Amino acid sequence: MSREQGQAHLDTYLAQVHRHLHGLSETEARETLAELRSHVLDRTEGQLSPAAVEAAIAALGAPRDVARVNVTERVASAVETNRSPLSVLRATGRLARLSLQGFTVFFVSLSGYLLAAGFLVTAIVKPFAPARAGLWILPADDLSFSLGVMDHSPLAREVLGWWIIPIGLVVGLGLAWLTWRFGVFSVRGMARGVKRPAA
Amino acid sequence: MVSKQVAPAEDETGKWETQLRKGGLGLAVLATLWPGRLYGLEMLRRLDADAGLSVPEGTIYPLLSRLKAEGLVDSEWVESDAGHPRKYYALTELGRRRVRDMAAGWRAFATGLERLLAPLDGDNR
Repeated sequence: MSREQGQAHLDTYLAQVHRHLHGLSETEARETLAELRSHVLDRTEGQLSPAAVEAAIAALGAPRDVARVNVTERVASAVETNRSPLSVLRATGRLARLSLQGFTVFFVSLSGYLLAAGFLVTAIVKPFAPARAGLWILPADDLSFSLGVMDHSPLAREVLGWWIIPIGLVVGLGLAWLTWRFGVFSVRGMARGVKRPAA
Repeated sequence: MVSKQVAPAEDETGKWETQLRKGGLGLAVLATLWPGRLYGLEMLRRLDADAGLSVPEGTIYPLLSRLKAEGLVDSEWVESDAGHPRKYYALTELGRRRVRDMAAGWRAFATGLERLLAPLDGDNR
């Protein structure tokens, strides 16, 4: 049992943590790993025997759990300091690779913002291109809608006409707000619910 | 008739205690820094020795990172005699104000609760 073995064991553990630090920038990841290394060195009082390293690593927790709690807390604190829609969307993107829940939250957020943008752009462009901007029911069946600015089929039927302007603005802004609230709520929820390494 | 399954009282008390500790952890961590800067393991040891708070080691750094993002603590890497660099944390001015406010809130809450709990002393019904 040598110091080199202890060192190698620590390096392997940190590499495993690093693999799960999805969503952190390289600088943040390096900072996190440096702090964990320093913690293990403090706890082993520089001995670095394999047994001491093993005990210190066990106290920190499984690499995946340690990485998840680090990523989630960092992302959640970024949202608390900057709650702009872009920052919240970016935060959900950072959590997307952590879990199925993270991916779902990102997917719903992205879809919500895109739909909101669709309504807003249509409402704003309508006065300038009344024949091309609007909400249309496609001829194939009465359940196919098409929203936006486009060259539509001559058989398509426009449903809202000029009403798309107030309705598009209200629905677009409302949808964007709801998506933003959903993102903030979900990121906070994920930070509260993340599995923390046991004591 | 539907009977609701009731969790054992000890489990419920344990959960409540966990939530209570979780809620107070931010204040406890900030309070350890009141006398001066500390590095992570020193904080963990002080929390354990002074407050009986056994904090999972893997959770202290994410918590410190959040406190730093909120501007309550600052950190710097310092070369140590131990032969490796250590990251020291210290309260910022905002952090000192916040910990004072949190301590006042905590004491007011605890004093009120103590008054409510006073009749329980010596009553073993």
